[in-house]
Amino acid sequence: MFEFIKEFLTTYNDILPVIALSLKVSLTSLFIASVLGLTLGIVVALNEFKLKKALMRVTNTLMSLPPVLIGLLVYMLLSRKGPFGSFGLLFSPAAMIISQSLLVFPIIFGLTVSSISETAKDIELTCISLGANRKDTYITIISECRMQLFSVITAGFGRAISEVGAVMMVGGNIKGKTRVMTTYIALETGKGNFNEAVAIGIVLLFISFLVNSILYRMQRRE
Amino acid sequence: MNVTIENAVKDYGSSRVLDIEKLEFKEGIHVILGSNGSGKSTLINCIAGLNNLSHGNISYDGKNLDNFSRNLISILVQKPYLFNKTAYENIISGLKYQKINKEEINLRVEKYMHYFEVNALLNKKSHWLSGGERAKIALLRTAVLETKITILDEPTASMDIESSIKAEELIKQLAIGGRTVIIVTHDVYQAKRIADYVIFMDKGKIIEMGNKEYVLNNPNNKLVKQILNI
Repeated sequence: MFEFIKEFLTTYNDILPVIALSLKVSLTSLFIASVLGLTLGIVVALNEFKLKKALMRVTNTLMSLPPVLIGLLVYMLLSRKGPFGSFGLLFSPAAMIISQSLLVFPIIFGLTVSSISETAKDIELTCISLGANRKDTYITIISECRMQLFSVITAGFGRAISEVGAVMMVGGNIKGKTRVMTTYIALETGKGNFNEAVAIGIVLLFISFLVNSILYRMQRRE
Repeated sequence: MNVTIENAVKDYGSSRVLDIEKLEFKEGIHVILGSNGSGKSTLINCIAGLNNLSHGNISYDGKNLDNFSRNLISILVQKPYLFNKTAYENIISGLKYQKINKEEINLRVEKYMHYFEVNALLNKKSHWLSGGERAKIALLRTAVLETKITILDEPTASMDIESSIKAEELIKQLAIGGRTVIIVTHDVYQAKRIADYVIFMDKGKIIEMGNKEYVLNNPNNKLVKQILNI
């Protein structure tokens, strides 16, 4: 196994930074989207308000938003003539993180609301009936719904790591700077280098398998 | 602690589920009886602060519900949620929320645990417990809080007869020392066994209330007479 990995990395020695950047961009955007999405998702799941149904309808629409549209929006915002052009973020990993966070946030938020709504209300009632304060109630909800929330985060990670359209537009697929696994596959396929494309495809699959295996083991332990 | 309810109304859309002019709970065991949908659970949820009235007022020793009085009330809801922890951790969860020290936690658990033979269950995760076992753990979790007011919504509904009798002994213990216990049940015989006061509800209204002997032996209401076979 180790020999295979060693041989693989020697043959495709320019792949390692691509994998590293992919993970960095995806995990950072996942972290940002998770902190915001889980927090707001739990609050919305526990409360009834007038525009809740409308909000969820908009969220569901955003969950299936084409990445190129987000790419276009972030491109326009960060381009030199855009409102945030002065920051010089276009064609940088930061721009890729921003667009992926925007893509992953509706998924984390929407799935959190739909997956924990019923249970979270039961837990909240129980916590209140036992004299828990608001902070303890939220901690208990997160702890009790951890498996659902972990599945939600995994779905978000799947969206982030497999995304190509938006990162291609705002990152520019610059070698050694903004090239990630998905844009690498797209580029190599275009050039007819199927070996490289397939190799990085296998790495992508392996990462996905690893994440799902961890989730499965955690569920089994529960 | 006295709970006084005045001009209490609860509406869900156009349907009125609670309409009470005046009702008072003093120390002792109060049993609320009534058919399904008569407003019993709505009433106790409002008393516990889990639900708000549409109109009217509930006062606790003459004061409104605040953070201080909130901690003097505990409620066991109809379908209690057990945390994904062991039975023991569930029993002490309320005490932990209230930052009670370890010695006191042990004392309280010992004081109430002997009512049910749950020693073998203490290290079991809640999802391995049967319906009856879950009901016992949930009742113990509420009992150990020893609040001034304890509200129980059908606490023995999923227990066998033997366990129900033991649960009733535990409930009597909860009323000792000038405390108030409010129980919702469908079991008239249970009311006869443990109640000090009995309240009958129908369509959100109080149709009969008073001392157990008075209500169960000389009811005025036609429906109550029918239920009691008088």
